[in-house]
Amino acid sequence: MFAATVALASCQSLKEEWDPVLTFGEIEPAPLTLYTESTLPGFSGHFTTIKQLKSKYKGGGVEVSGNTWIKGQVTSDDRSGNLYRELYIQDETGGIDVKIGKSSLYSDYKLGQWIYVYCDGLTLGAYNGMPQLGLEADNTSTNEYETSYIDLQAIIDQHIFRGAYGTPLTPAVVGEAEIKAALSAGYTGELWGKLVTVKGLKYGDEIFALLYPNSNLAHKSGNPENRVFLSTPQNERDRIPGFDYTWGIDTWAMSKALYIDYIRSGNWDTAEVGSGSTRYGPITGRPKDYLPPGITLQSFGTDADLTYKEIMVKYATANYVSHYFTLGGTSIQVRTSGYAKFSDEKLDARILDGSATVDITGILSIYSGAAQFTLVDEPSVSVQVN
Amino acid sequence: MKRLFLTMAALAASVLLFAQQYSGGVKGTVVDRNGRQAVENARLTLLQGASEIATAVSAEDGTFLIENLADGMYTLVINAPEYLETQVQVTVNDGYVKNMFNLSLTGVQRVTELDEDSFAAFDLEDSGYNDNPTILFGSNDVFNNIAGYNFSAVRFRARGYSSESQDVYLAGVKMNDAITGYSPFSLWSGLNEAMRSKETVNGAEMSDFGFGGYNGLTNIFGNASNVRKGLRGSVLTNSSLYRLRVMGSYATGLMDNGWAFAANVSARLGGNDWIDGVYYRSFAYYLAADKVFNDANKLSLVFFATPGQRGAQNASTQEVYDLMRDNMYNSNWGYQNGRVRNTRVRKTNEPIAILKYDFTPSDKFEGSATVLYRFGKNGYTALDWYDAQDPRPDYYRNLPSYFFDANSDMNRNNMLKYAWANEVWTHASDFPELTHVNWDRLYQVNAIQEGGRSKYVQEERHVDQRDLNLAATFKWRAAENLVLNGGLNARINRTEYYKIVADLLGGGHFVNIDNFAERDFAAQPYKLQNDLNYYMKHGAAQQVGVGDKYGYDYYAQVRNFGGWLTGKLTFGNFSAHLGGQLGYESFWRDGLMRKGLFPGLDANGNKLVVDGVAIDPTYEPDGTVTTSLGKSKVSKFLTYAGKLGLNYVIGGSMRVYANVGYFNEAPKFNQVFLSPRTRNSIVSDLKPIKTFSTDLNWQYSGNGINVRATAYYTTIGDQSKVMSAYDDLQNAFSNFAISGIDQRNMGVELGFKVPTYLVENLSLQGVLALGRYEYTSTPRMTQTVDNSAETVMDNVLVPYWKNTVLSDGTKYQHYVPSTPQTAASLGLSYNHNYWFIDADVEYFGDSYLDMNPLYRTDYAVAGLDNNITDEEVFYMTSQEKFDPAWLVNVSIGKSWYIQRKYQLGFSLNAKNLLNNRSVKTGGYEQTRLVDNTVSKERFYRFDPKYFYMAGTNYMLNIYFRF
Repeated sequence: MFAATVALASCQSLKEEWDPVLTFGEIEPAPLTLYTESTLPGFSGHFTTIKQLKSKYKGGGVEVSGNTWIKGQVTSDDRSGNLYRELYIQDETGGIDVKIGKSSLYSDYKLGQWIYVYCDGLTLGAYNGMPQLGLEADNTSTNEYETSYIDLQAIIDQHIFRGAYGTPLTPAVVGEAEIKAALSAGYTGELWGKLVTVKGLKYGDEIFALLYPNSNLAHKSGNPENRVFLSTPQNERDRIPGFDYTWGIDTWAMSKALYIDYIRSGNWDTAEVGSGSTRYGPITGRPKDYLPPGITLQSFGTDADLTYKEIMVKYATANYVSHYFTLGGTSIQVRTSGYAKFSDEKLDARILDGSATVDITGILSIYSGAAQFTLVDEPSVSVQVN
Repeated sequence: MKRLFLTMAALAASVLLFAQQYSGGVKGTVVDRNGRQAVENARLTLLQGASEIATAVSAEDGTFLIENLADGMYTLVINAPEYLETQVQVTVNDGYVKNMFNLSLTGVQRVTELDEDSFAAFDLEDSGYNDNPTILFGSNDVFNNIAGYNFSAVRFRARGYSSESQDVYLAGVKMNDAITGYSPFSLWSGLNEAMRSKETVNGAEMSDFGFGGYNGLTNIFGNASNVRKGLRGSVLTNSSLYRLRVMGSYATGLMDNGWAFAANVSARLGGNDWIDGVYYRSFAYYLAADKVFNDANKLSLVFFATPGQRGAQNASTQEVYDLMRDNMYNSNWGYQNGRVRNTRVRKTNEPIAILKYDFTPSDKFEGSATVLYRFGKNGYTALDWYDAQDPRPDYYRNLPSYFFDANSDMNRNNMLKYAWANEVWTHASDFPELTHVNWDRLYQVNAIQEGGRSKYVQEERHVDQRDLNLAATFKWRAAENLVLNGGLNARINRTEYYKIVADLLGGGHFVNIDNFAERDFAAQPYKLQNDLNYYMKHGAAQQVGVGDKYGYDYYAQVRNFGGWLTGKLTFGNFSAHLGGQLGYESFWRDGLMRKGLFPGLDANGNKLVVDGVAIDPTYEPDGTVTTSLGKSKVSKFLTYAGKLGLNYVIGGSMRVYANVGYFNEAPKFNQVFLSPRTRNSIVSDLKPIKTFSTDLNWQYSGNGINVRATAYYTTIGDQSKVMSAYDDLQNAFSNFAISGIDQRNMGVELGFKVPTYLVENLSLQGVLALGRYEYTSTPRMTQTVDNSAETVMDNVLVPYWKNTVLSDGTKYQHYVPSTPQTAASLGLSYNHNYWFIDADVEYFGDSYLDMNPLYRTDYAVAGLDNNITDEEVFYMTSQEKFDPAWLVNVSIGKSWYIQRKYQLGFSLNAKNLLNNRSVKTGGYEQTRLVDNTVSKERFYRFDPKYFYMAGTNYMLNIYFRF
């Protein structure tokens, strides 16, 4: 009987299961295998250049086919938090935003590392004119993108292959002429998605930020009662002479704590609630004062008795800021996320007062026909005293 | 025989009137064949031919006396719960009382292997819920005997009471955890032989060992002379727990020289048939000695521990179970180079040392004093990560439901991703790296980080107790009809909560900062520090290696002392018990790490200056400074309780008794601190818990029939609890402090075992527990986050806690969860010639899912549009009721005596023969809301997570004795 029990116990002893029980030592983990062109599964033997890939774009987004592979080196790093859920790779013909929808991509993808992308089944799209490689768009009523994130690991594993660690790329220095050329080329402009350095940028003394007083409520343009723009009025007549259109913001962006400090500073008191032609009034007023009874007022609940300023403090979140710079006659925005670790760092005073220009390195993109910079990390800004 | 005290039953039997008076009789002592311990409440039936002449019940010390017998030949039949029926022939001669001396009974060995092992170890630590088992000991109660064994698989809780309310004593010391109150069975699991001898009372009954509460009291003797004599061994396999348990014990019994020695060792090893990743590598040892110096003095020394580790099981959503086609899927483990490794491993080694002194100067007085010390380590591993992707395979963003939902308001519609997620989870064996933890990736990530900084580590959360207990009890038979019982107890507990790096997973170090704080306060590096003092001294965050403390470190300090006194007065068949208890309890937190977010003030009461800047502290509602380091405010409670018990014996076989009690108890440490990992803040409105409990019982025991019927009614008021749940949206622990929870538990219990009369030795047995355990109050809730001084919700009402109320007044009651409120068992039991066969059919119903308070607030119901509709109320606040379940269990066993010296036996328990794999045994609601909807009008729930019972499983135990 004793033997029977032992036999019964051991005949079920799947080897796997006894390991953690009887093995006291470490289990050697499987090492990471990096792909080479010869080990890529189903590789066609031919790489399409990023420029060629972009030329396949059609309005509304297009699903890539034809056994298309691209390769490139990683130029982005989300360590600072300014980039989120996107990986930029570039070859000698250009760069592209691969929307790998995972956080902390720098854990797996190193600057300079070779990445092979099997593009078939991915969707090439545009976001305000900027090329992006992702998956087919979500079929939802709120969707405003031509692509969606490649966020399911099983799909990433079929399309994104990590190759050898290379040396991080040196950014090309580009001038105004090249930027203008890229802007006129639009979507296929070679600079978009590339890591570049632009020298001699001058501060434009204005910023842009879109704030949502109750960050939990709808963010859509159809909800002007929950929008506050910090910007320079489009219409010259609306501008207040002598008004500081940086709205007192002297940092790259604003963390939640800093956002609250800014709200309380009073610099934004003249900012209006509203959007487009619907203007309610300054944030010192209350929803109750501005809104007719009904769904929109009701959605503020008891907050309707608070001023917008108070509501903004109550539902504060980190917020991005776009600073305007000029290069000759070309305007370039530097857009920084409030979740970037350097969001609360002040711009050098010499930049702000115009006594110095600045060299900026980052990923260049096109946004609604204008050039926009995304800093990969703060140190890539260097101040050049005139 | 000097200390012969007749039970009331025996008294009753002896006063039966007979037409004729005889001087003859029969007396003796009923003892356990193995341990020679007295068997109380054994039923003795004296037969002459086929006619029953007399009955008696053995007393506390096993003695019995049947008087008034004519000379002649009799058959004495002895029955006792858990023992085989035994018959002996008795001859009464010349009008003498025949002394049979010791009549030994053989235990049925119906595998009362009930200990914490019988319950799957659920991994609930990050969920905010707890589900500690309560164990009903068979003892000699017909209800507990059947329910304790048959209902454990569904985590049945007697009368719907929580684990904290079950008093468990060891050697006279209350062992319920000082911090949580949970019953502490895990401390001695695997030492079944050493801890076998115990005494149990039910409900609010009074015990000799302590005052007790309203949910019974069990005292485990645990000393050497109470361990069954001889050399014993057993080999056991349990297909739903572990492959192998080997156990050995040796006890001398009390020897002529006054010494008794005992030892018990065991090992529990391996996995099981049902849950992957769950395994045991647990050992246990026990050493004890007793020395009786003379008749009056006895010293007992006991030392034991159960060092080892076991892998835990995690809950998943029904979506995952359905896709995997396996309700036993466990997300805790994954492959490391092809081998199974569990992320959640409980590693414990908590030795206990006991010194007990018993003093018995006379027949009328006995007293004891015990010192008990518990120490050692209790760790529980988990993955921790810094700025990296969530490594859990069933993270909601990896599931099909994240990509498609038929409700368009959920804003999820991407069929490509949905199809792929579906493919992965329905073909799990093709995607082991995606459907289980991908250990290899964690190492691979760590291997390529600059400077050897690990992104993923395995942490080990420690709850290390230093628990010193003193207890003294006495029992004084003050008069023929008065027994006084009382005691004093004191406890000093210092429990250190901290975590260490258990495994760097290939990296070189981990950094002691708060990941979440970094997102909000990157510009103020001091705020990220888990150990600000280190940062101030070294100018940089601490780098930690394997074994180093990090994250948090604090003491929970608990002190309590008290005394109790009960008196039992007997008048013939009537007896009354009256008792009272008075105590003082205090507790506080003592922080050992200064956390950057809650730095408080420096030693001189000035603002701390870090990086050249004076830091403004944050303040508590009472105006004191919020601080992470140092001693918190001391919470103090005066506790008291009173009990009354009445008992009436009718005709020797029947007993009617009733108990009533009122208890004013202190809340527990873990129900009071809002976020003990980070700061000293406590629940603002601290109140003692007030319980009123009463029960009425009827018991019959005679002619082989055993029946108990009970009705009970209990109200428990002003309970509080703090649920601390890991919220991966915030990457932080979110704390929900709820106070003012009232509940009412009422119901009836019936247990019976009766001969079938059709087949000899075949009995019909069953239990029925019909309860109604419901919430009766509207509590309040405060929500905080570990990583922020802000209060997310401050003392808001939880209006939908006790029920869901619609606008037309329709109400849906909410119930106390995690136990069936209806449970029944009916079966046959056959006992003959050292065979036993039991077969039972069971029904469990009216079991409910644990509720989270967030879903029962106006905030959650109103949604983003602040508009409360009936549809939202019903959707958000309803409580899930589990489907009822039917189970069939069979047990069989036999033992043999070899040469009257050795015993060999086996028992085989086959459970859930219908292979029912859809029985939910517990689960919980996730404490968070889906808010990114299209309409921005309402919130949705996250799917709840469940635990399921194993399908058909068996336990085979082979035991032998030399």
